[in-house]
Amino acid sequence: MAVSGWFVVLVALGVIPLVVFDDPAWLGLWLLIAVIIGIIDFVFAGSARAITLGRQLPDRVRLGETVGATLFVTNTGRRRVRGTVRDGWQPSAGATPTRTAVSIPSGERRAMPITLTPFRRGERRAADVTVRSFGPLGLVARQATLSMPGAIRVLPPFNSRKHLPSRLARLRELDGRTSVMIRGQGTEFDSLREYVRGDDVRSIDWRATARRTDPFSGSGPQLVVRTWRPERDRRVVIVIDSGRTSAARIANEPRIDTAFESSLLLAALATRAGDRVDLTIYDRRLRGRVQGATGAELLSRMVDVMAPIEPDLIETDWSAVPSLVRSVTSHHALVVLMTSIDAPGASRGLLSVLPQLTRKHTVVVASVTDPAVLEHIAERRDRDEVYLAAAAERATLDTARVSAAIRQLGAEVVTGAPADLPPALADHYIALKAAGRL
Amino acid sequence: MTLATAPVSRVLTPTLRSSARRARFWIGIGVVIAIVVLISTVVNGATRTAGAAFSPTNASPTGSKAIAEVLRQQGVDVRVSTTLADATKGLASGDATLFLVDDNEYLGKQQLAALSAEAGRMVILAPTTAQLAAIAPSVREGATVGNRVLRYSATTGCDIPAARRAGAITGTGVGYRSSDTAASTCFSTGKNSFSVIATGAGTVTVVGAMSAFDNEHVGDRGNAALALGLLGQSRRLVWYLPTIGDSALDTAPTIGQLTPLWVSPVIVLLLLTVLVAAVWRGRRMGPLVVENLPVVVRASETMEGRARLYQRSSARLRALDSLRIGAVARLATLSGLPRLAGVDEVIAAVATITGQDPGGIRLLLLDAEPASDRDLVRLSDALLELERAAGASVRPDPGTPERAPTMPPHDGE
Repeated sequence: MAVSGWFVVLVALGVIPLVVFDDPAWLGLWLLIAVIIGIIDFVFAGSARAITLGRQLPDRVRLGETVGATLFVTNTGRRRVRGTVRDGWQPSAGATPTRTAVSIPSGERRAMPITLTPFRRGERRAADVTVRSFGPLGLVARQATLSMPGAIRVLPPFNSRKHLPSRLARLRELDGRTSVMIRGQGTEFDSLREYVRGDDVRSIDWRATARRTDPFSGSGPQLVVRTWRPERDRRVVIVIDSGRTSAARIANEPRIDTAFESSLLLAALATRAGDRVDLTIYDRRLRGRVQGATGAELLSRMVDVMAPIEPDLIETDWSAVPSLVRSVTSHHALVVLMTSIDAPGASRGLLSVLPQLTRKHTVVVASVTDPAVLEHIAERRDRDEVYLAAAAERATLDTARVSAAIRQLGAEVVTGAPADLPPALADHYIALKAAGRL
Repeated sequence: MTLATAPVSRVLTPTLRSSARRARFWIGIGVVIAIVVLISTVVNGATRTAGAAFSPTNASPTGSKAIAEVLRQQGVDVRVSTTLADATKGLASGDATLFLVDDNEYLGKQQLAALSAEAGRMVILAPTTAQLAAIAPSVREGATVGNRVLRYSATTGCDIPAARRAGAITGTGVGYRSSDTAASTCFSTGKNSFSVIATGAGTVTVVGAMSAFDNEHVGDRGNAALALGLLGQSRRLVWYLPTIGDSALDTAPTIGQLTPLWVSPVIVLLLLTVLVAAVWRGRRMGPLVVENLPVVVRASETMEGRARLYQRSSARLRALDSLRIGAVARLATLSGLPRLAGVDEVIAAVATITGQDPGGIRLLLLDAEPASDRDLVRLSDALLELERAAGASVRPDPGTPERAPTMPPHDGE
């Protein structure tokens, strides 16, 4: 049950007879009148329980985008339902409007359009629908809450996809260039073609030249060169650390979100380049895994797996990571570890397992750095800022020490501010590919 | 798009019936408590105060119905008065005793004087000083008397027959002193203090022993004899319990009398309106939808915490060393030295490119110890200045604007 503002006005109007007739008995009389009118209105209100609901909802939406949904409200009762319907979404689903005025005759159905603009990644849920049905006088309402669960999966935004076209162009350039210039590990035989001036003379295939030269026609010897191309079908294994350090926010973005952005860009690039990408998200247990997907399916599965994952406030168990990588592939692979390399103490676990990984794989450790640290180093106007600058210097020194230790163990380090890390990692991947080190 | 329908809507709001069923236990408890309260009220009702103290119609322990009834049976005409006019009318018929209990002091001095003049015989129970001044000026109020037995003694100058017959009474109440030697003083409660004093040639009797008149104690000792003897002297007894209507205070009309009749109901109505408005605004449109909030940890918190730690413990040298290590690394990069170059090489290189004194640079980069925060800020500024100078001298175009020092790249790009 609920009352409206008009009922309050009705009760307050009792002042008039009280003053006019100047008789205290009117107090009780007026209250009785108000209650009776309220009961009559309540009895004649359409039943809020006799409502059936339906919901039309898209499965997923990218973070930051707006999507429409529809709630269908069917009145199965005998009386018209006049009042308000509230769709109970979580606040972060960004639903507007949450309340809609409805007037549904008996046996009819109405559609309530709702737009959702979620502002948090993950599974955003609606729990129930509340119907408030006022009587013909609009004084008193029947109210009921009906269970109507719904959920929409909010995917990572993948803002870094804007870097993808330029990186793909570089990848194509790389293809053309390396076809003649580079040979060795990580490249494979592509084709034979005629020598043109400027080709590396070392790539001339003399045996093929001898076969190609026609001894009878007497035409001049036609030199044939071998071309090479970067080896395809290499493995890229992305390991995202979802432990406590990835919960920290840098430039108002959790580390794990930056890691997601970076891995999406890297995966998009690598799968176009013909490599196979596997994703694992891990802290002490496997939080998510994508294996054996290629092309567009890879990205859609990746965002689907990433969407509901939030960092756990536990220390990552690095000792299990080598066996995790081994379970993905037994061959040489590019292993990208998305974690943070802030303090020597916190990175001890990572450093202890790196040799096991670098023995077999090319390992890249990607970490987000805080752009505010650099600003603090440069700003030293007063005492507080000098101390802050000293702490910032110490922080960069720590990072530099951990980076040096990682390099010493044979892995490589990519760092960058949240906006810069995804393209930096993509560039590093292209560089590794160009160097044939995949 | 998926269409999810709930063919039979599951209503979460409980119906009136189901919530009543759920509340059955508590309703039962409430009913039991109500019954217990009712029964205890009925059982203990007789012992409760129901009516005014010393009222002849009050059968509770504090009333005096017992005495009044006995007097009636003995043929005394007991008239119960609650107004001054009624009491005066009762006294007008001649031979009458006035029994006055006015512990709220409703009656003023003049009214009391008029009453005592009207009454042929008057018994006043536990009068206050003001009342005594009007009725029996020779009597003063004494100490309070606890619950103890007061015995009749012929030596106290007592010639009240009722007191003599009573022998002993329970004296809970007040003691009185009399300055009138002719007064009859009975039941000594202490030094010159008495519980019953008859003065004015026996027309006014001041009684301090309040317990002699109530239902609870009237049967103790000689209480009944004293009370009946004092009150049953005349054919008529006017039992006067003044009420607020007799109040002598001639006050101005109260606010309640001045305001119109409708004001109080309107106030009540407005309060009810506020209550209804609270229900109107407070009724929630369905339950809250819970959401797990994310943990917000700013990554720079550890850095800021470390800065505060340096500052609080005045770790100036440590702070300055951090700044120096960064500066040396940047200076090494600027002067084209390898990353692992020693600080001596860096000093020499910087001295060369900036043309400054190597000793001064050495002092700045290695030896100077800040004694105060001011020193620290000064050295920090000098470090920045040195970096700026080194940067300016290696930059090909001196006209370019100066930049903030940049970090040595430690990534693998």
